[in-house]
Amino acid sequence: MKRFYNAGFLSKISLLIAIAFFVGYSITIIVPAEAAKTTKSSKKAAQKIDPTDPSSIIYLDTAGKVAGKGDPDKPASAAVKAGRGWHPRAMDDQRLPKDRYGLIDWVALVKGKFIAPKPSLDPNFQEMPPLSLDVLIPAKGDFVDDVVYPHWIHTYWLKCDVCHPKIFIPAKGQNNMTMVGIAEGKWCGRCHGKVAFPLTDCSRCHVKPKKAKK
Amino acid sequence: MMARIILLSLLFLSLPATTLFAGLGNMTFGDKSESLKEAGVGPAIFPHDSHEQKVKCKVCHPTIFKEKRGANDITMKKNMEGQFCGSPNCHNSSQAFPLFQCKKCHR
Repeated sequence: MKRFYNAGFLSKISLLIAIAFFVGYSITIIVPAEAAKTTKSSKKAAQKIDPTDPSSIIYLDTAGKVAGKGDPDKPASAAVKAGRGWHPRAMDDQRLPKDRYGLIDWVALVKGKFIAPKPSLDPNFQEMPPLSLDVLIPAKGDFVDDVVYPHWIHTYWLKCDVCHPKIFIPAKGQNNMTMVGIAEGKWCGRCHGKVAFPLTDCSRCHVKPKKAKK
Repeated sequence: MMARIILLSLLFLSLPATTLFAGLGNMTFGDKSESLKEAGVGPAIFPHDSHEQKVKCKVCHPTIFKEKRGANDITMKKNMEGQFCGSPNCHNSSQAFPLFQCKKCHR
């Protein structure tokens, strides 16, 4: 027990007590002052609800100051702007299926029934069911696997006229597609690598091995 | 003793080899020309020079590429599967341009 009463311990205790007293005292001073301030500002603000006036209550933050830039045409505060942004942590917490690049896998999302988006806001709208039609697109080179194109997932998300007839002529063998052209943004490259999974993911399209040529 | 002799001889053999292979310039891979024609691309031109500047010899040789002309049967399929040029830290990663940019190699 003796060692607790040395000089160091006593000085620490006294310092702690002093801090506690100081904090308590300052709170008792600040709190009523602040309360008075807020009542004043709210009284002031209550008189002013004019959306065209930047100092109107709707543009004030909790401290009674003008939030944002005081421009009624712009978002009221920085928080609004921040909330609009994409939040990586929030996305992770959603446990959305991701591909090997960490991008959202929109196919697994549908097939795993993670989401069920409405086809229309009209409750009586009858959606055309997705088209179950796989198209075999032979790769031009002998040493690359052929492509199997699934209409199903494409027509789940998109209407026919998104691709037909402008990007793809709707007839087998009529689109003389090349990987060079796709990389330049033609055909599949209109979406893939931009809004759909990137072209670097070769084996997601090139799936069917070629029969060995003699 | 035998092992030592073999090691020494290998060392002596490899010395001129390193001096030979450095500064190879552009290597053209023109076999499989039929398939290249069908795909509508030229033969792959591999700039050995610029790769020498970026990585040490042992990064690629001999694990990824054998040091002998014609000994590596490189195909786009194998590249896509992570062999040769498409090795996981090379043209199948963010460290180098991706495989789908055909014309960067097939000129």
